[in-house]
Amino acid sequence: MELFNENSKLASVIHKDHSLLPVINRLGVKLGFGDRTIRTICAEKGIDINFFVETINVFHYEAYFPEKRLLDFSVSMVIDYLLSTHQYYKDYLIPENDRLIELFLSENPEESAENELVRKFYAKFKDEFVLHINFEEREMFPYILELNEAIGNPVLRESFKQKYPGSISGFEKEHSNMDDKMDDLKNIIIKYLPPNYDQNRGNAFLANLFMFEKDLKNHSRIEDHILMPKVKQLEKVLLSHE
Amino acid sequence: MNNHPIKSIVLISQSDVILTGLSEILKGSLASEIIQLHRGDEIVDYPEMGGNILVIATSDEFEKSTSIIRQVLSVSGNIHFMTLQLELNPVSAPPSLNLFDSSSLICYKVNEVFNSFANIQAKEAETELTRRETEVLQLLTKGYSNKEIADQLFVSTHTVISHRKNISEKTGIKSASGLTMYAILKKIIDVNEIDAADLI
Repeated sequence: MELFNENSKLASVIHKDHSLLPVINRLGVKLGFGDRTIRTICAEKGIDINFFVETINVFHYEAYFPEKRLLDFSVSMVIDYLLSTHQYYKDYLIPENDRLIELFLSENPEESAENELVRKFYAKFKDEFVLHINFEEREMFPYILELNEAIGNPVLRESFKQKYPGSISGFEKEHSNMDDKMDDLKNIIIKYLPPNYDQNRGNAFLANLFMFEKDLKNHSRIEDHILMPKVKQLEKVLLSHE
Repeated sequence: MNNHPIKSIVLISQSDVILTGLSEILKGSLASEIIQLHRGDEIVDYPEMGGNILVIATSDEFEKSTSIIRQVLSVSGNIHFMTLQLELNPVSAPPSLNLFDSSSLICYKVNEVFNSFANIQAKEAETELTRRETEVLQLLTKGYSNKEIADQLFVSTHTVISHRKNISEKTGIKSASGLTMYAILKKIIDVNEIDAADLI
């Protein structure tokens, strides 16, 4: 297994794994980087090189997850990344999924009962998903960022404690439920839907869903294994100040 | 259930030398029977063939008779096609046998195909729901709890949970709403019997 490093040319990284394109966008890099290496690009854009390299490697190889090194990154850096991931879901992946599933289902108006079921199932999955990311953005991330600020500042510490008498455990949400539904949707379409539909539209929808799944798995992994442990660590520090 | 389905090879070639020679070599493979045909359409003489069938022929022969072979054999079992190449330096892609392959390579390639059949069948065998699992699924989609299902079927809650686990493993569907969709698509329940708005 070959990992990318700061001396890798970003163009060859993308040639090897184009699914990294939205990931480098999130990290603040757009196309047109010529033959520049990751090091040069990060220096120009003021991006943390280690964070950039680890993030693309973790996304590229599912087996790769250097937990210890990832835990070294600052909370705000991780949250920035997660927020831009959410933005990507909201601006692109979800609307694209909506469009593709509608194209796929509208091809076959006769089987409207089955299509209606798939539509409902998908709508429910989407509602849950949007609810989840909104909750994180409105409640959980602000809590974590404030906690992070409060740690080093005695005045903030007191007001923080008054504002949030609970702890992160109250915020923790299982990602497995959404992953299950995503899996179910894929299996229903691949294995059980009657095959009287336009195959190209079906393939396009599934391809987008697979991309979504890969991204979401990565996202959940960062939240569950990096962000949550870091927050618990910060909460311990906060308590130790009492 | 028969764990050892018949593995048949259908050899098609106008050349007796090829038919006889290949049959001799393939006796060393996993095949349980080898049928020799001079022309593809002679397959109509074997309508009762079952199990796993591997058809070996030159690409010319396949062009002429694939559809008739499929037509005749499709009712009987799994079919796989393998091209026999006659030139030493072939241009076409695998899966194929070459007239100049060693006998062990020929048997190896053929056995690979039969083994892949076995894997597919083992997986397929596991996806069929039992009668009991179907009953559990029906009650589940009507919104009953594990306890209520257990009471209705006169089994323990533990048994219901284990049925549910098996259902998810076999279907690949885990969520309750996903299982409801599955049950409707597979016509295990009628969409009118349930409150779809609630369950999906």
